[in-house]
Amino acid sequence: MYTNKMISLVKLVFGVLGAFMLGTTPVWAHAANQGFVLLLPTTAYIAGGTVTVALTILLLIFAKPGIIDAVMQPVPLRFTASTLPLRDWSQSTGALCLALLILIGLRGPTDPQANLLPLVIWTVWWMLFFVVQALIFDLWSWINPFPAVHRMLMSEHRVILNLPSRLSIWPAVVLMAAFQGFVLADTAPNDPDRLAVFALGYWALTLGGMTVFGREAWLKQVECFSVLFALIGLIRMGRSNRLGLPGWQLLQDRDHDLSHAIFVVIILAAGSFDGLYETFWWLAKIGVNPLEYPGRTALIMPTLIGLYGSILLLTIILAVAAFSGIKWVKDPVPFKAAFIRFAITLLPIAIGYHFAHYFVTFLVQIQIVVAGLADPLAQGWNLFGLGSRRVLVGFLTVPENVKIIWFTQAGMVVMSHVLAVVLCHRTAEALVSSRRDVVMLQLGLSILMIFYTIFGLWLLASPRGA
Amino acid sequence: MTDLTKLTRRKTLLGLGAGAGALAAGGVMPGSLGFAQAQSSAPIKIGFQKHATGIGAAYGRWYDTTTQAAVARINDMGGINGRPVEIVTEDDATDPGRGAEVLEKFANQHKVDVAFGTLFSHVVIGSAPRAGELKLPYFVVSEGHHVASGMLNRYTLQPGITDVKSQVVSMAPFIADNLGKKVTMIYPDFAFGHDHRDFFSEAIAAQGGEVVAKIAIPPTETTFTRYFPSIPRETEVIYHVMVGPAVLTFVKELGEFFGPSRPELFGFIDSLEAVDIKSPGLEFLEGAFFWEGMPRHQQADASDASNAYRAAVGVNERGAAIDDPSNVSTYAHMFGCWETLHVIKAGMEAADYQGPADRAKLIEAVEAMTDMPESIEHPQGDKVFNGKTHQAFGKQYISKVSDGTLNVVHTASIEDGMYEDEVNYTTQSL
Repeated sequence: MYTNKMISLVKLVFGVLGAFMLGTTPVWAHAANQGFVLLLPTTAYIAGGTVTVALTILLLIFAKPGIIDAVMQPVPLRFTASTLPLRDWSQSTGALCLALLILIGLRGPTDPQANLLPLVIWTVWWMLFFVVQALIFDLWSWINPFPAVHRMLMSEHRVILNLPSRLSIWPAVVLMAAFQGFVLADTAPNDPDRLAVFALGYWALTLGGMTVFGREAWLKQVECFSVLFALIGLIRMGRSNRLGLPGWQLLQDRDHDLSHAIFVVIILAAGSFDGLYETFWWLAKIGVNPLEYPGRTALIMPTLIGLYGSILLLTIILAVAAFSGIKWVKDPVPFKAAFIRFAITLLPIAIGYHFAHYFVTFLVQIQIVVAGLADPLAQGWNLFGLGSRRVLVGFLTVPENVKIIWFTQAGMVVMSHVLAVVLCHRTAEALVSSRRDVVMLQLGLSILMIFYTIFGLWLLASPRGA
Repeated sequence: MTDLTKLTRRKTLLGLGAGAGALAAGGVMPGSLGFAQAQSSAPIKIGFQKHATGIGAAYGRWYDTTTQAAVARINDMGGINGRPVEIVTEDDATDPGRGAEVLEKFANQHKVDVAFGTLFSHVVIGSAPRAGELKLPYFVVSEGHHVASGMLNRYTLQPGITDVKSQVVSMAPFIADNLGKKVTMIYPDFAFGHDHRDFFSEAIAAQGGEVVAKIAIPPTETTFTRYFPSIPRETEVIYHVMVGPAVLTFVKELGEFFGPSRPELFGFIDSLEAVDIKSPGLEFLEGAFFWEGMPRHQQADASDASNAYRAAVGVNERGAAIDDPSNVSTYAHMFGCWETLHVIKAGMEAADYQGPADRAKLIEAVEAMTDMPESIEHPQGDKVFNGKTHQAFGKQYISKVSDGTLNVVHTASIEDGMYEDEVNYTTQSL
């Protein structure tokens, strides 16, 4: 039985200028499931996956220049729907939903597995919508809750202070880095109360920012989730009535700068570290007994150091890879341009890993969300009969299922690397002309991607203590 | 399986009716969001410190199921002192720091009467001091020896489940008499493993047995074959308590190492909680022996109370969820929630508990308890509660794996698991 608590308004710390507490490492890893993963011949599978990526790199050496462009050329779609007014309404609905969820967070069940706020934010928004946004359609433009309230109050062109456009998305970079810090290190991101306060705080910050700097500028340069979803949406097959293979959008000329590159590095590094810091390997490194995980409170500092260290490390490795490529080619290639363009090609890997990392947890949590929808306000309802839906977790301990699930995860990781390799090759083609130069320019990146494949698959197979 | 419809959400409003004092003391919060279901008396609020997330989540789910089932039964029978029981659940994320915060929320925000339900030792150890400071009775379901060791405080009690020391010690007579007197111990090289090593070495020596080898495996290890050659040839019994994701690998490699002729195997079901004994890779366990807190597989001679409990918590004859037979329960531990809640009820009734002002009386009433015979309130078996050490003692089951099924071959008596008192909490002030 759960209790609805009336939290006094005083507790609401408005204007908490923290990042919106979203996403977490949902440490619901089922121990028995892991046990079966350790029995699989994962070394063989990892080798297979790595060979796949390596072969792709090799095959591309012999690819005719321009063939990638030809394959990735999008086809125009016949129908157009002018959806703009509809979008305003759906965004308002998104805002309403968020408001309702925050209310449920503050006054609903105290058990995070029964409260729709953490359930929807983590499982539906962070796990599911992220993937939908990256692969299927521009969901965020429909449900973005932030513009709605501002739209009611003032026009989008109203600006008090100018946000310099040369700042590009650096503000969003800072916010995303801070947010990832909270995601991985905060002690109780699932706590309904706590999450509600952070959500409200971020909403207030966003509203304030839009009021001062203008809605368009704020959403484009500062609001880190709008920036994130716009960026990962570049992998999508469909856009503006054109349909092509995943990643075709990245072949169109875009004015990405260093801030975009670092944003991508952050998503990838943070996602990778999110997987790493649960492993026996990492726990041993920081002197923690993996069989006696002490809890997040005790590990805040090592986690933050590891996270920001990972971001720094990936930046350096990427820079070295790009730089060495430049040194090995005849044509002059500007380092900054190469770094930026190659960084963007890492986007598919970040998305593939996000899917793989959360897949098992998602399969369980989405059932809990559905069951939770039966009684959102804890009134004892049973809407749509969902309350009698069982939450099945036993399937995770059936060895056949464990194998299928693992292959799905690994498949996504491998495919995302293959796509990254293709994009990387195409990027090299755009920077240098001779075939030899194309190969040598991306040699550093190719090696990086092979190692990243091994790393990503190893993370999936590695025993976890957290 | 978590059936969320079984959770009847009881709304609280300042009640009208007899016992106005109960209302004030019962710590009832004014109606939330205006739910209008009136209660004739204010509920007893029990704060359930649940491992809803974190490494304990699988246990958390089953502890929750058992808790809800126990409370449903208690309320069906009229509640405690005529008042309904309401569970307030907070997630401690299996984190000691968070656990202490949760207890604060229970005491100051939710104003519960007592807190209960924690399993993982490090969380109990991290939370209990706060319970003592808040003067909040804290009933843990942890099987850790920390309660009886004297490490904690007079507000922390463990009346519903036995502790590891008692479990280990009570195994020695059966092992010495039936399996062998020369034992090799294999355990993870940290506190949990050391406890088994220390408690068992002493106990088996008292039975005229001997630990011929102590193989301590580093906790980070995930492959074990290289340790097996150190098992002495004269070993009659291997006593193993491996835990963590590598357990299945351990069993598989042990099987590959020994083949068909192996020493007797004795382990603790903790290694395989929530894992089906019939899982591929565990064939080597045929004929092996396990300590079980409560027999996972339904025994032919199980008591009516045991069978009724099994049905009430939605578990089938193989110890798995009735509506999800691959979901094997944490049967060896979760009964502790059921029994603890019934102890809280009995204690509150004995103390004529009215509200938080009576918390000290409640502690004293529970400390005065001794015999708890097997019954629907104590379906795992007879218990004896030691009011000085705040620890319950009970029967321990030893089962043998036969064709993928665990059959109880021996029940260790309560006396088998007794040990000298290490503390007397009753001398501490409340």
